Parts: sequence; C-alpha cells; structure tokens
Amino acid sequence: MSEIANDASVYSVSEITRLIKKTIEGRSDFSGVWVRGEIYNFTTHASGHIYFTLKDDNAVISAVFFRSANRGLSFKPRDGMTVLVQGSITVYEKRGSYQLNVTAMQEEGIGELQRRIERLKQKLSAEGIFDPARKRPLPFLPRRIGIATSPTGAAVRDIIKVALRRYPGIGIVIAPAIVQGDGAVESIVAAIRELNQPKYGIDVIIAGRGGGSFEDLMPFSEEPVVRAFATSRVPIVSAVGHQIDHPLCDDAADMAAPTPSAAAEIVVPLKDELVMEIDYYADRLARSAGSLVEALRTRIDAAVGRRVFREPREITRRKGTELTHLESRVTAGLSARIAHARARLLNIPDMRILARTVIDRKKHAFALAIGAIEKLSPLAVIQRGYAIPSDDRGRVIRSVNDTAIGNAIDLLIRDGTLNCAVNAIIQGGIGGFDGKEKAGE
Amino acid sequence: MEKKKQGSDKPGRERPEKIDFEKALKELEEIAVLLEDGELSLDDSLKKFERGIALARYCRQRLEDAERKIEILQRGENGTVSSRQVSVDAETGEIENDEDLQGSLL
Repeated sequence: MSEIANDASVYSVSEITRLIKKTIEGRSDFSGVWVRGEIYNFTTHASGHIYFTLKDDNAVISAVFFRSANRGLSFKPRDGMTVLVQGSITVYEKRGSYQLNVTAMQEEGIGELQRRIERLKQKLSAEGIFDPARKRPLPFLPRRIGIATSPTGAAVRDIIKVALRRYPGIGIVIAPAIVQGDGAVESIVAAIRELNQPKYGIDVIIAGRGGGSFEDLMPFSEEPVVRAFATSRVPIVSAVGHQIDHPLCDDAADMAAPTPSAAAEIVVPLKDELVMEIDYYADRLARSAGSLVEALRTRIDAAVGRRVFREPREITRRKGTELTHLESRVTAGLSARIAHARARLLNIPDMRILARTVIDRKKHAFALAIGAIEKLSPLAVIQRGYAIPSDDRGRVIRSVNDTAIGNAIDLLIRDGTLNCAVNAIIQGGIGGFDGKEKAGE
Repeated sequence: MEKKKQGSDKPGRERPEKIDFEKALKELEEIAVLLEDGELSLDDSLKKFERGIALARYCRQRLEDAERKIEILQRGENGTVSSRQVSVDAETGEIENDEDLQGSLL
C-alpha cells in the first residue's frame, strides 16, 4: 500500500475501506439484525463454514455462516429455501465487500406450512377421512405388492430388499413417482391411482419415500395426496421418511409404517415362518393319524373278523411265547435224546445238528409270521395300496350290502381320496387268509 | 385335486382352492386341535383328517405359487401405461441396468 498524495482529501483504498467498515460495523442496528431472504449459491466448505447468498426480488446480500455458529442447525438449508437469519453486517476489506455474518437461521416457510397442514387436517378430519373405522386389515399373504415411490431413491431399494428377503418370489409392481418438489403431488396421486387399477391384481400398496427435510416430505401432507391414500381401493400403507415424521397421509392410510423398510416388514410375511407353521400342524395331524389308525383297526377287525387285525402286538407276543415253548421243547427233547443217546451210546454231535436245523426252521417261520403281521397293520395296508371305502355320507362300507350299483363311493387311499361309482357287486367273502392263522389264535 | 368332486356340496367342506390362505391355515389348525381332542366319530375324524391333509397341501402349494416377477410401470408416448419386467439385485434391492427408468408415471 503506497502513499498516493499529500492532499488530505484523498483517501487510500484502505483508508476509505476502513472508514466504510467503521461506519457500517459501528451501527448498532446492523448488529444482531434479522433478515429474510431466499438462499442461493449455497455451499458448505470442507472447513465447515457455510457460504451463501440471500436474495429477494430486488437485491442480494452475501452471507457467511461459520462452523462454530452453524453446528446446532436443525435442518439442511438449500437453494430456493426462504430463511430468516440473524447476524451482523461486516465489511471484508480485502474484497471490498460487505456480508451478513450469520449467527442463527430459521426455516421461514415452516411455520406457515405447519399452520396450513393443521388447517387441512381439521378439514379432512371433519369429513371423516381419518376415521379409524375406515382402516382395513392388510392381506395376510399378498401375491403382488404395489410400490408408489421414486424408482431411484433409497425407499424403493429398501422395500424390494426386505420384501424379497422375507418372501422370495413375491410379485412387485413399481409405479414411479416424483416424491418432492415440483410436480410431486400430481405424480404421487397418479402412481397410487394407477396401482389401484384391477388389471394389475395388486393386493396391497406401499406409498412413500425416504427421509428428507420438512419441505421434502410436504407433498405427502398435501390434500390431493392425502385423499388418494384415503380413497385407495387397494389397502395402502404409508411409508414416509423416518420415525419422527408424521405427514398427513399417515392418518389417511390403512396403516402407517415408520420407514419404507418397516412397511415391507409389515406387508410381506416371512415365508419360512409360514412353512414352519404348516409343517407344525401337518405333524400334529400325522400324530392324530395314529389314533385314527387304531380306530380303523377296530373297523377292519369288525369287517374281516380276524384277531390279527386287532391285536398284532399280542400275536407277535404269542408267537414269541410259542417260539420260546418250542425252543424249550426242542431243548427238552434234545436233553431227553441226549440222555437217551448217552444211554444208547449214540453219536451226540449229529443230534445237535438235527436240533439246530429244527430251531432254524422254526425261527424262519416266526420271522415270516412277524412280517405278515406288520403288513396287516391298517396303516401299512393303506400304504401298500389297499383302500377304505365310504359312502356319500362318509360311512365306511363294510359289506357289499351297504351300497348299490350306481352309488358313488369314496376310496380313501394313501395320498388322497378317489370318488368312484359302483359298477357291479360281486358277492363272496375273503378266503385268502383262511386256515393260515391257527397258530395265532 | 382338480378331479375331486366329493364334498363340494357340503357346507364346511368347500374345496381348499376356493378359500384364502389365511382361512386355510386357520382351518388346518382347528382340525389339528379337533383330531387331538379325539371326540369326533371315526367317520368324522377320517373326513377331518383327509380335509386337513388337503389343506396342508394347498397351503404349501400356495406358498410355492409365487410370481417371481418385478415390474415397473411406464407411460408410453401415446399416454398409455404399460408394465415392463425388470431384474433387481436381491441383496441391495437395486433395479439392475435400467437405462430408461422413468422418474414418474406422469
């Protein structure tokens, strides 16, 4: 900075700037002043300082919002937002500019928007749109879900991810929508309406978006959107922002989810859990089948008149006892023979071979008998391909006289029921087993 | 099961295909309980058992009967809306290689 002249009326740039600075910063009404304006050229530097310009229709002013002051900011300022800032006017000599050194910032629009939402809420509430009685249950097992949201946002990814994890293969129809700013309201309404068309076969709709500023979420509190939620033919779940956000559509939807992921959790059941539940009941059915078989056994016994049907275990036991008797008799006989042989000096080893052969033969017969008994158990009988016939009133048919030619009968077989017609009746009993079960009696 | 005709005329024995999954599951549970109680006649028990098996089969089938289809709606130049199948990454939920993803139906 060089001396220009001796003339006292000539200022140096520094001098005049210093004077300006002194004049401006010295004004008490420029300190702690409130200014309203719209933000543009908003930038946050790596240092954490925020620089922006505030403007209205006729003027602009530069503003700086230092890191130390902006740390407590509760919202994210951005271009186009109207804010109310408090600060002091300072002069930056090196650039010859003045600026607003901001110490506090409020979202100017919020207060007015909130009042508007409150008024709309009262109006719609009076119409009964938020009536809890209007809310419908969500489908238990939807085949297809509709999603009305931005196709590129985090919300659609979260919903798809959670839905496919819970129920792989579930059908999804995405209706893309602009979810904030200009055109959002109309776009969201169009997406919800489209998903409501019966041709898509949608069982439940999730409509919403991820988190954002109060203004970002505003479309979901606008009347047309709230009405679209309320009048959705298909049950609809709102999924807007985070837990703390409560747009008006939450009150109009059949259910409000705190986040898009949570909406998918609510709407899509866990397939594995359902499979487990079915298995559980099927197991219980199978266990009950045991007592059913017991009862059937009595039926079959009555029909066939054979004890072996009724008491296979007892017969097994009897066979066992019989074998024991047989063995002891053989052993006894053997002893007698041995004694006899000894007396008659006969060849003892030969006698032993003979006895073993007799026992082996009896054991073989015993094994065959056990096999037959197992096959005769009613469950095994049905498994083998036998059927239990019943008439059209569900009564078991035990005799050819219980039905008539032309009657419809049901045949219960291993894996289902056959509905049959009686074409002919042939009289005559079951002879196949006769004369073979004496040993069991 | 399509060929089965019996029971369709009787109340409470509508074919499983016609009832929804939740009802089928509920009925299956009721039948399991009923059979365990053991207070039904044999004929009724048999009927219930058979019905229970059919319900369990229906429920399992219904769970496997999934669409495996993800579609996105788009408005064509003539203003009509059509759906287009897209593939997604099941891990991330990301819609894959979709260059002409439209931002809005409007």
